[in-house]
Amino acid sequence: MPPIAESDRLLVERVRTGAPEAWQELIARYEGRLLAFVESRLGNPAAAEDVVQETLLGFLTSLPNYDERRPLESYLFSIAAHKLTDHLRREGRRPALPLSVSDSSGGWQPVAGGRRASSLIQSGERHALEEAALVAALAEQIDRLRARGQWQQLSCLELLLVRGWSNQQVAAALGQSEQTVANTKSEFLQRLRSLVRRGQPDPDVFPELYAS
Amino acid sequence: MTTPAPTDAELLAYLDEALPADAMAQVERMLRSDSATLARLAEVNARRDAGVHSLSEIWRRNHLSCPTREQWGSFLLGGLPAAEAEFYRIHLQTAGCRRCQANLADLERQQSRQSAATTSRRQRYFQSSAGRLPSSG
Repeated sequence: MPPIAESDRLLVERVRTGAPEAWQELIARYEGRLLAFVESRLGNPAAAEDVVQETLLGFLTSLPNYDERRPLESYLFSIAAHKLTDHLRREGRRPALPLSVSDSSGGWQPVAGGRRASSLIQSGERHALEEAALVAALAEQIDRLRARGQWQQLSCLELLLVRGWSNQQVAAALGQSEQTVANTKSEFLQRLRSLVRRGQPDPDVFPELYAS
Repeated sequence: MTTPAPTDAELLAYLDEALPADAMAQVERMLRSDSATLARLAEVNARRDAGVHSLSEIWRRNHLSCPTREQWGSFLLGGLPAAEAEFYRIHLQTAGCRRCQANLADLERQQSRQSAATTSRRQRYFQSSAGRLPSSG
């Protein structure tokens, strides 16, 4: 996970005091990457600039609630993603999401123990603690792969776990055998399970770790 | 050839506007034409709302394997060992990390010199938003 840059923290501190030069500096530091993010999706430079403008205004509006432990770049990108989604909805490009999952569509139920979904609704605090445990375990494993120069394995795991591709798709994309991909996945999940188990997580909230 | 259905991880990334632009557009086309994909999207969203963690979402949202902007700078300058540079290329093109794509595009634009258009755009952002700055003192 990227560290929270001290220079960003100090910059936000100055923006909070209303310093115009700090605000100008923050714009100069981040608008280019935000514009590239939005432009890649809209393909219309003028509309993309409007969305970035709304993002920056959104940042100032939400500034009293901004938690500085969160990296500034991530925060700005998440505002940009929301503004972009709003823009695409207004344009009719982004279909509306149904409000509920009907029973006839095979509505989701937890995989373990037959508990009902309603019993899984957790407090935000508990959810954050569980996520923190998983982030720490994942970060430890990823750092280990980086330190050992196991870049191919890291690519393989990104495609398997971040894109959710099958072993077969990943093997084809990376020119590896399916067995190699399967071994990389199994070893990683096994280590991850053992790291996370220290916190005794509920299998219902970590189904991917316990799927056979 | 039929387009492969998006994975659950890709549907979650779609909800967060985190897939590469072409994959986002492809999911949108499928959602319009295929009610089963729309039902799956509602399902992954309901699962998330119910508090089920997803490895893909946690990994992606926390940028656990994303190179830093400085590392992308080294990549552009060709200063990385071959195996590491190959990981960066796959992260960008195959894993399709949208935020890293944006950072790299911005760095490339900066390398090709800051244009007058950039300066005027920044001034416009500043002028349209400075009135919302907290009051000083």
